[in-house]
Amino acid sequence: MSAAALETARVWLVVVLTLLGLFFTLVSMTGVLRLPDVYSRAHTASQADTLGAGFGLAAVALTVGVAGGGFKSVLLLFFIFLTNPTAAHAIARAAFEEGIVPWTEGDDRR
Amino acid sequence: MADADSPSDGGDGSTDSTASTEPATGDAAGEPPTAGAVIVPVEPTSTLRSTIAHVADAAATGGAPAIHLVEIASWRNGDPESDERAAAAERVLERAAAWTAADLDDSEAPGAAAVEVVTAVTGAGDYLFGADDYVRVLAEYAEANDADRVVLDPEYTPVGNTTLLQPLEFALSNTSLSVETAPVDRPTRRERFRTEASAVRLVALFGLSLGFYFLLGDPTYWFDAVTGVATAAVVSITLSRVSLDSNPAIPRTPMRIARGLVYIPVLLFEIFKANVVVARVILDPRLPIEPTMNRMRVIVGSGLPLMTLANSITLTPGTLTVRARDSDLYVHSLLPWAREGLFDGSLERWTRFVYYGRRSARLPTPRERDDVAILQGDDATEELPIAAVDGGEPGSVSGSEPSDDLTDADEVTDR
Amino acid sequence: MSLADATLVAGYTLGDFLLVAAAGFAVLAVGMLYRAVVGPTMQDRVLAVNVLGTNTVVILAILGAALDEPTFFDIALVYALLNFLMAIAISKFTVERGGVL
Repeated sequence: MSAAALETARVWLVVVLTLLGLFFTLVSMTGVLRLPDVYSRAHTASQADTLGAGFGLAAVALTVGVAGGGFKSVLLLFFIFLTNPTAAHAIARAAFEEGIVPWTEGDDRR
Repeated sequence: MADADSPSDGGDGSTDSTASTEPATGDAAGEPPTAGAVIVPVEPTSTLRSTIAHVADAAATGGAPAIHLVEIASWRNGDPESDERAAAAERVLERAAAWTAADLDDSEAPGAAAVEVVTAVTGAGDYLFGADDYVRVLAEYAEANDADRVVLDPEYTPVGNTTLLQPLEFALSNTSLSVETAPVDRPTRRERFRTEASAVRLVALFGLSLGFYFLLGDPTYWFDAVTGVATAAVVSITLSRVSLDSNPAIPRTPMRIARGLVYIPVLLFEIFKANVVVARVILDPRLPIEPTMNRMRVIVGSGLPLMTLANSITLTPGTLTVRARDSDLYVHSLLPWAREGLFDGSLERWTRFVYYGRRSARLPTPRERDDVAILQGDDATEELPIAAVDGGEPGSVSGSEPSDDLTDADEVTDR
Repeated sequence: MSLADATLVAGYTLGDFLLVAAAGFAVLAVGMLYRAVVGPTMQDRVLAVNVLGTNTVVILAILGAALDEPTFFDIALVYALLNFLMAIAISKFTVERGGVL
């Protein structure tokens, strides 16, 4: 009885986490498409996408459990939280060193 | 680095060998007719002994009044372990001073008896990040002690694992000091590796990579066990000097990990909270963003703490670390709200908490310290250093820029 | 029995839901592809491909959970590593001075 209730709770938690992951990935995509320059796009690429991937991977870890290889999912999660900002930093820094001026209000470049 | 070949434009111009990396042995030794004292930055390297022999010889023949053996502190007074590191530095200096005195005694040159040997530890009051900071400390010391020459040990690397010699030489060539790298034979790569690799690092990295391998594989299966040990051995032998820049220590490393575990949920909550705000802005049809580039000088120490802080800033939505130059972080912010949050410095305090403990976390905010600048937009307080960021030019990062450079950069963008 | 076989609503299992979610991630990834093609700068493209790669990792992991294929996680792990290396390497070599990281 209580085991069944626990499983139901877990199932719905997975659903919620997956939907959150989808939502933040949607935000990330919208940002990458709408924002005006490479720096502001790097914001959503590094942050919203990291959070979206984080929620998605948390949902996966919860689904498969420890025995099914969920620790690999957790490992992936940590890895993405470590590497995504680093990669975004490298890209933004490359843009900065190329001399790309950040967009400010009034700039008509889009 | 091409900068090392550019002619030195500072100082008296008497030594043109300043910026070259491999000074010819002959002319460097007999050259200096200087009147000022000589400064030797000291670190326990494998070439320190021969550097000192060279300096003592040159000072005796050249008539320098004093040799200053200076250790530039890579720690800061008040930090945990600063006492131990200061004591270790003192020991190195004592040994170096003894060598210098012995070399001067042995010297045949008439001036040898008049040369005074001075030792000093300097720079411990401040966090030093890169070549520019080191040169500033050296220049202040030279000013105070009437020195006009710096002799560098070719293996000199004060930060630990990063090679600082070339940027250091370049930055020094822009001061009035004359610079020379001691023409001593470097030991071969192999020897240097053997002297610098530490057993603690090797074991720590071996354990770490073996644990990772077993996490993915199956430690009870003999094949995985054998390949795991072999792989971990290769990784730890080749990379222990690269991946760890200080020895893991017993009370410190576990404490840092424990405090890091406290920090992770806090960071996750911050990330989530700020992500919601930014998501609302991005999904808003009017897209009400006001991006600016900002500069913030942070006090966390170099290496891993700086990386932690920079990555935390990047992960927190609305702010993106674009460039870390010494202790200056160039941060792009999407919203004024995110910028203000950044200048409040809570991430900086958390990073200090993780690496140095609760006591070190109390610190005025960057805004109160006046360590912040906005580089774009209506509130701009400094100009954007977009053309001065090539990494070769010391000093004037935040200096003014001719506007031509900005238009050039715009053209680059439109390609 | 894996949690993916648990019934969600009206006979559909959690595995079915995860498959739909993976499809959703794939659709979003196509949106990124626009930025990867259009640019306009090299860094924009690298950024878009990096985000695409992160998405691929998540899709792989979700498929692994939905189809009960644990090997997918290993592939996702390797993909994440390569994705990171790609971003760093391209950033490094598109800058002439080569001084990134």
